[in-house]
Amino acid sequence: MVPQPILRFTVKQLPLISYLLFSSTFFFAALPLSGNKEIFSSFQKQIEPILDNYCYDCHGLGVSEGEVTLDEFSSNTIRDTDLWLRVFKNSRAHIMPPNEEAQPSANERELLASWIKIGPFGIDPKNPDPGKLTIQRLNRIEYHNTINDLLGIDFNTLDIFPADDSGEGFDNIGDVLTISPMLLEKYLDAANAIVADAVPTQALVMPEKKWNEEALVNLFSQALPVDEDEDNLQLSFYEPSSRTAEIEIEAAGNYQLVVRIKPRSFSSFNGFDYNECEFTFKADGEILINQIFSYTSGRIHEFVFDRTWDVGTHHFTASVEPLTDLEKVKKLKMEIEEIIIRGPYSPENSAPPKNYHTYFPGKVPTSRSKLKSYTRQLITNFATKAYRRPVDKATINKLASLAESISSQKGKTYEAGIAQAMVAILASPRFLFREEGLARKSRNETHAKIDEYSLASRLSYFLWSTMPDDELFDLAETGKLRKNLEPQIERMMSDKRFNNFIENFGGQWLHSRDIQGVNISDYDVWLRDYPNPVLRNARAEYKIVREIPENNRTAEEKETYRRTRAIVVASYDKERPDWSGALKRAMQQETEDYFQYIINEDRSLLELIDSDYTFLNQLLAKHYGIEGVKGAKTRKVQLPPGSPRGGILTQGTILAFTSNPTRTSPVKRGVFILENILGTPPAPPPPDIPALEDAASKEQLAAMSLRETLALHREEPLCSSCHNRMDPLGLALENFNAMGMWRDQELEMPIDSEGVLITGERFLNIQEMKHILATERKRDFYYCISEKLLTYALGRGTEYYDTETIDYLVNELEKNEGSPSALLMAIVKSAPFQKRRHPKFKPE
Amino acid sequence: MPSSFTPPNKFNRRHFLKGLGAAIAVPGLHSLLPGSLLANDSLRQAATTATGAPLRTAFVTFPNGAIPSTWWAEGSTTYFQLGQTLSPLESLKSSVQVIQGLDHQHATGSKDGAGDHARGNSVFLTGVRLNKSATDIRAGVSIDQAIAKEVGAETRFPSMELSCDKARASGSCDSGYSCAYQYNVSWKTPTTPMAPESNPRKVFERLFGEGSHGERSANAERRMNNRRSILDFVMDDAKRMQKRLGNNDKDKLDQYLTGVREVESRIEKMERLGPNIDPELPTPEGVPYSHGEHIAIMYEMMLLAFQTDSTRIATLILAHDGDNRSHEEIGITEGHHELTHHRDKQDRIEKVKKIDRWYVEQFAQFLNRLDGVKDVDGHSILHNSMIVYGSGNADGNKHSHDNLPIVLAGHGGGELNPGRFVVNGSKPATNLFLNMADKMGVKNLPHFGDSTGRLASI
Repeated sequence: MVPQPILRFTVKQLPLISYLLFSSTFFFAALPLSGNKEIFSSFQKQIEPILDNYCYDCHGLGVSEGEVTLDEFSSNTIRDTDLWLRVFKNSRAHIMPPNEEAQPSANERELLASWIKIGPFGIDPKNPDPGKLTIQRLNRIEYHNTINDLLGIDFNTLDIFPADDSGEGFDNIGDVLTISPMLLEKYLDAANAIVADAVPTQALVMPEKKWNEEALVNLFSQALPVDEDEDNLQLSFYEPSSRTAEIEIEAAGNYQLVVRIKPRSFSSFNGFDYNECEFTFKADGEILINQIFSYTSGRIHEFVFDRTWDVGTHHFTASVEPLTDLEKVKKLKMEIEEIIIRGPYSPENSAPPKNYHTYFPGKVPTSRSKLKSYTRQLITNFATKAYRRPVDKATINKLASLAESISSQKGKTYEAGIAQAMVAILASPRFLFREEGLARKSRNETHAKIDEYSLASRLSYFLWSTMPDDELFDLAETGKLRKNLEPQIERMMSDKRFNNFIENFGGQWLHSRDIQGVNISDYDVWLRDYPNPVLRNARAEYKIVREIPENNRTAEEKETYRRTRAIVVASYDKERPDWSGALKRAMQQETEDYFQYIINEDRSLLELIDSDYTFLNQLLAKHYGIEGVKGAKTRKVQLPPGSPRGGILTQGTILAFTSNPTRTSPVKRGVFILENILGTPPAPPPPDIPALEDAASKEQLAAMSLRETLALHREEPLCSSCHNRMDPLGLALENFNAMGMWRDQELEMPIDSEGVLITGERFLNIQEMKHILATERKRDFYYCISEKLLTYALGRGTEYYDTETIDYLVNELEKNEGSPSALLMAIVKSAPFQKRRHPKFKPE
Repeated sequence: MPSSFTPPNKFNRRHFLKGLGAAIAVPGLHSLLPGSLLANDSLRQAATTATGAPLRTAFVTFPNGAIPSTWWAEGSTTYFQLGQTLSPLESLKSSVQVIQGLDHQHATGSKDGAGDHARGNSVFLTGVRLNKSATDIRAGVSIDQAIAKEVGAETRFPSMELSCDKARASGSCDSGYSCAYQYNVSWKTPTTPMAPESNPRKVFERLFGEGSHGERSANAERRMNNRRSILDFVMDDAKRMQKRLGNNDKDKLDQYLTGVREVESRIEKMERLGPNIDPELPTPEGVPYSHGEHIAIMYEMMLLAFQTDSTRIATLILAHDGDNRSHEEIGITEGHHELTHHRDKQDRIEKVKKIDRWYVEQFAQFLNRLDGVKDVDGHSILHNSMIVYGSGNADGNKHSHDNLPIVLAGHGGGELNPGRFVVNGSKPATNLFLNMADKMGVKNLPHFGDSTGRLASI
């Protein structure tokens, strides 16, 4: 029950609802009903007649299809929010009543929807419940970005921290972001490593010179031309090669030489390359590195050498000697990442390290009292930034004494003490979690506004996946952020950090993040669409014969091996379509650039479904069969009239992600559209799926196309209710194979993409289906994207009490013709984004 | 002038595996363990064998169940023929028990409907019904953690969680379950999954320290000192923060504080036991490209952790239930999960059997390694271990969860009764876990998950 006096909901009489229904300010004028009896009595009078007319044939009078019963409510059960949410959503999307049954009028649907919101859901539209929000830990991407903004360190959290668990499709959900003991340990170690990397602990150090990327290539370029693949210096595993460099040493003395190398693979072909090579690095003829490498994970190997050098030219040689002659499937190379020379080591040569003054501005005072306040100032500044809100004196005192306790130790510098305090700050839960506070003036309200520091963080983690910048923080500090939301959001959207929103929200919603890891057996996909009996037979034979150990093969088997392998290997290079890392990167780029373009140009979000352009480079255009795109750079491409491309559904990312390794999956594709475009996920499959064999013989099944098998499936009533929704959507995409290439036939059978949506719309092909989704089903899409975006913005799943907010978002989209900026703005202004639920509030 | 000269490193990953074999062949392996171990009476209480050697427990999970018709054995309890899938264990038959009739009723759909793979993972070691939610995660304490809670204090690491899953797809997981359920088998509390480590290099460095042989102990000690220096501050900070927060959030801070206390306890152990052994082995490079090599090296990490008595409790996820990777190493290009829904097509069934058997082959190799390594008491590590190999799904085609494919390997220090094909009728799998917890010396665990008692004998 609602505790008084925190909430004072006014009891309103029923006629109000009908009055409100015709009032133009309906959405914000309605008031919640209070008391289950009152809700039940309004149900009996207003709602039951509608349900009786349209629903009870299947969900009442003793019938409970899909285990849904709508005529057995009492005042005790009338607030079954789970059930009413299903009714609400199914009615809204016109999934219920089914298309072939009598349909309620728009007014009747609206009455039902508004009654559900103010009745069973108990929503007060003037002051909706902002919801249960669990404190959010920074996920590993936010952690990376925050560290980067705070200290300029590119700390590889993807390698170091375990993957974050996700829920509701996103990895920033507070409830699901947990801390295991191992992760805590990693946080402590990360804090140490980051500070050690960023903060100088010596006031004076030796100078150093670094060669990487282009400078490194130039250093070694005298001997051989640069490899065409990348900027860095690379030597193939398979060919003996050698390159030399000369470095002038201007002062004699002791130096430190650092060489960083890594084995790399330049092919994503799903095979294994066991080749090894011997890498040798010499300085002035002396062998410093001589080691055998194979390709494993692309880890960087760092070698450090102390050298004493005279003035003059010194010679360096890097060379590779192949050691094995196994199948070259991965295009392996040794890459020199970086060469660093530090020195000469001598006291007069030392200088403050780079960045020293960033962390220790001005001159470090020598007097004890001045030093003390200098220390406190440094710590206060850093802690405030790192915690993203003001820090109490007690904390500063503790950190200052931590710093002093370190710097007073023998052999430790003042700087080391400050660094230690910074480590403690980064390991603290106040850095790792996003703690929020309430706005002072708002604290006694039912649902209080969050304070402006919290708002600044909500904004920055939503739109940038990182901490607030100085401007946001300053506005929060002076209490001006709320007043300046619109210009700030505009500014944030045009900042380069907004790319994080594209990559993280778009990347997860549209799966562009996943394309690199998608498991596609490109060879099999290709053989399905371009039957090549010679190759297919050779491959089958090869697979069998290669499993026989080489020494056990008969002469005939050896010959078979030689013959079939030649055919198979030849096809790797020449006949197969490309499925390289470069292609997958181009696909990811297509989806990201496309999404970014729509948002940055404030185009209608409906163009995500259907448009006459997309983003391609030469490689991807060729893959899609689109002509006239030259070069490696991805750019906007106007599609020819009638092209099936345009819109995210026909992009390689989603087409591959929703496929099995060797073939497409119309069911997965259909589910993807239902979940991510229409926002009406199908019920999960029932536990006891009847075997298809009950409906047809094994021989019949074997001869059927996938479309026919699915049709058979839909004859089973248990399956039809969901498969009627999924299958037409997925089958409409059958012209695109698992690699996203266009095809007219599969396994020598023509593809038929015609279908009917559950809501009755007919289409002949994917172009028509996209058009229907973007027009007839527009509102479903608006609801879907509003819900996804709200989930991501808040870091929690949406609940029944959010329906009012989501309705408001959709109305904003309708008013503004699908404008992304209008949606983002509306989310930021919505109650759940601006407020926190009162601690004593208990929803019904 | 700095004097850090790193000698050329002559190793790579495959040499690592070879090198490991060599290291283990060296006599006098006692030196890998604290000398006092056998003599210490206080350790007899928990996780030790009758001779005083460490007793280890591990749970290895494979994805998507197994084709039942070729999984089991035929014959009587003691005279039996292993089925085709389990036949790679033939030479180890006297060290394994094929246990039939173990169920997980809470992994079935019941009123929760689909999501059998998510449940397959997180029910397997917890035996509870999961709260079906994408965000509100509530499972139960898993058996490895229940054991670790009681006996984990004896070793540097109470437990170790490993996985061979690499990339995770973003987006939703199985049918409305949070991905936390799908990628974890080990749960410290009902709301804290133990995220596993999948990078062998990280596992190795966590156990022994970073750097090359000879540098590791010092590095590990430095790491501990670095951690120690900030523990007081962060502990205090967390406690004060917890006071400011609401109930939902307190659990998160509890997780943080639990982690801090574990680090404290590890520092205390390091002081008591000295630094861990620094094996004469190169550090593994990272995640190998092929699944088979990844599995092999993660098994090696588990062996190394047991051999050095760094922990006595481990879990290893070979691939999460529902895994749809293709197994190109054995010529199977279709996805595993996709194939398990074989629709009774024989060619698909054969491919699934091949995958099932391939996983068993990897396990057999691991058991052979364990069998080849002498423990402090002269027995093999396999002798002094109890290792469950199983899946949270029984028949992947039907998503059934009764009669789960489960093998128990090892002799439990002589207290198990291996070399048997045990037919149990129908019992909760958690009954087996209770027997194992008893052997590990866990007291006061009358029930676990949905257990109805103990198995008659294991």
